[in-house]
Amino acid sequence: MEQIQIYGLSKSFDSGGVRRTVLSDVDLRIAVGEVVGLVGPSGCGKSTLLNIVAGLDLAHTGSVTIQGRPIGEQLGAGFRVAYVFQEPRLLPWFTLTQNLAFVLEAGGFARSEWAGRIATVLEAVNLAEFRDFYPAQLSGGMQQRAAIARAFCIDPDILLLDEPFSALDELTARTLRQSLLALWERFRTTVVFVSHNAYEAAFLADRILVMGRGAITQEIDLCGTPRPRSYDDTAVFEASKQVIHCLERQAGKDAAATSPSPTPRKP
Amino acid sequence: MSPRFRQASADARWTAASAATLLALWSLASFALPAAVLPSPLRVLAAMGALVQTKALWTDTAVTLGRILMAFAIGMSAALALGTAMALSRSAGAFFRVWIVCGITVPAIVTLLTVYMVVGMNERGAVLGAALTVVPFLAINIREGLKSIDPRLLKMAQVFRASRAQIARAVVGPQIAPMLLASARFGLGLVWKMVLFVELLGRGDGVGFRIEYYFQLFDMTNVLAYALCFVLVMLVIEVGVFGVLERRIFRWRRG
Repeated sequence: MEQIQIYGLSKSFDSGGVRRTVLSDVDLRIAVGEVVGLVGPSGCGKSTLLNIVAGLDLAHTGSVTIQGRPIGEQLGAGFRVAYVFQEPRLLPWFTLTQNLAFVLEAGGFARSEWAGRIATVLEAVNLAEFRDFYPAQLSGGMQQRAAIARAFCIDPDILLLDEPFSALDELTARTLRQSLLALWERFRTTVVFVSHNAYEAAFLADRILVMGRGAITQEIDLCGTPRPRSYDDTAVFEASKQVIHCLERQAGKDAAATSPSPTPRKP
Repeated sequence: MSPRFRQASADARWTAASAATLLALWSLASFALPAAVLPSPLRVLAAMGALVQTKALWTDTAVTLGRILMAFAIGMSAALALGTAMALSRSAGAFFRVWIVCGITVPAIVTLLTVYMVVGMNERGAVLGAALTVVPFLAINIREGLKSIDPRLLKMAQVFRASRAQIARAVVGPQIAPMLLASARFGLGLVWKMVLFVELLGRGDGVGFRIEYYFQLFDMTNVLAYALCFVLVMLVIEVGVFGVLERRIFRWRRG
C-alpha cells in the first residue's frame, strides 16, 4: 500500500530578486514500511522535500497526499510524523524522560501510557539507566540516540531523518544506524532519510533516490538485499559505488553547464 | 570535601575579605574627615540600632517598598509589552527604536520633573515617574532575550505537533526565564534608586524624603544609617526572592 504520494511537486522562492527553483516537478510514491534514502549534493532540495512531507512547508505547488488525503488534512487528523534532525535538539532543561514525555504529550497520548512507551524505547537504544539525566550530561552520540528514541516513542506513521548521523564519528554513527534499524524492525515505520553518505544510504535503504537540481535523477533499488545487513556486505558496497557514480556524473554535468565554454588562446 | 564545596568556601572567603576591606577603607576615611562629614562605621551602626527601635523607619520603609513594587510592576509590564512587540514585529522595532534611544539618553531627573509637572506632585506622579525611567532599559533587555530564542527547538516542537500552550510552557518559557530574571533584577535595582529620588524631589514621606531631611539637618550619621537600613531590606529581597528563583530556574544547568 502506498503511504506517501507526491505528484508534480515544485517549489521556488525569490532570493535577492532572483527566482530560485528548489524542487521542480518531483513525482514520488513511497510504500508503507519502506525505507527511502535521498542522496545528493547540498542545495539539491533533499531537506526541502523532507520539510514538505513533515508538513512544515506548505508553500509549494503540486500534490502531496498521505494515504490519499492532503498532507495538511491528514496531520490534523492525528497522523503522526516524527523527525530526527542533524543535531539532537533535545530540550536541555528536561531530563531524557521529560524530553520523551514532551512529544508524547504533543502527540495526545494518555498519561497512563507514557511510562511504558518511554521505558520501551529507552531500553531499545540502551539508555534506560540514563533516563533521569539531562542532555548535557550525555555524549553527543547518546544524545542522538535519545533523539531516535524520542522519534519512535510516539509510534510515528512516518519517520523523517535529516542527515541524522553526519555530526558523529563513524564508529558512533555505526552503532546508531544499528539502533535505528533495530527499532525499525520492531515498529516497521515508513522511513525517509536524507544523507550525503552513499555508504550509509546503501546500508539503510530499500530504495535510494539520487537528487540533483531539484529533481530525482536516478533510483537505485536495494529491496533484494536481505536484512540485517552487514557493513561488509558486497551488495551494500556495490550499491554505494553506484550512488557515487551517479553523483559524479551529475557533478560533471553541473560543471559543464555552469562553466563558460573554453576559448582557444593564442600562444 | 567535594570540589564544589571547596569552590564555594573559597568564594565565601573572598566575599568576606572584600566586605572587610570596604569597612576598613571607610574607617580610614572617617579618621581623616570630621565626623559630621563622614561618620565612622561604628557610629552609623549605633545610629542604625537606635533607628530600628523607632516607628518612623518602619513606616517609611513600608511606604517606599509600596512605591517600588508599584513602579516595578508598571515599568516591567510596559517593558514586556514594548520588548515583545519590538522582537516580533520589524515595523514595531523600527518605530519604537527612536523612543527607546530618547528614553535612554534623557537624564532621569528631566523625566521625573516632567512627570511631576504633568501628573502633579502626588503619589501617582511619583510612581509613574520612577516606572517610566526604567522602561527603555528593560525593553531593550527583553527584546534581545526574545530574539535569542533557538528557532531549531521551535521547529522540533512544531514537527512533533506541540500545541501553542505546550510550546510556550516547555520550549519558550525556559529559554526566556533567565533573561526575565536578569531584567527583573536589574529593573528592581534601578527602580528603587529612582523611587528614592522621586521621594527626595517631591514627597513628604518615605526613605528618600527622610534621607533628604537628615541631609538638610547636616546629620550624615542618620543619612547613612537610614540608607543602610534600606539597603539591608533590598538585600533580603535580592537574596531571598531572586536567589531562590535563580536556583530554581538553573536547576538543570547544575545537573
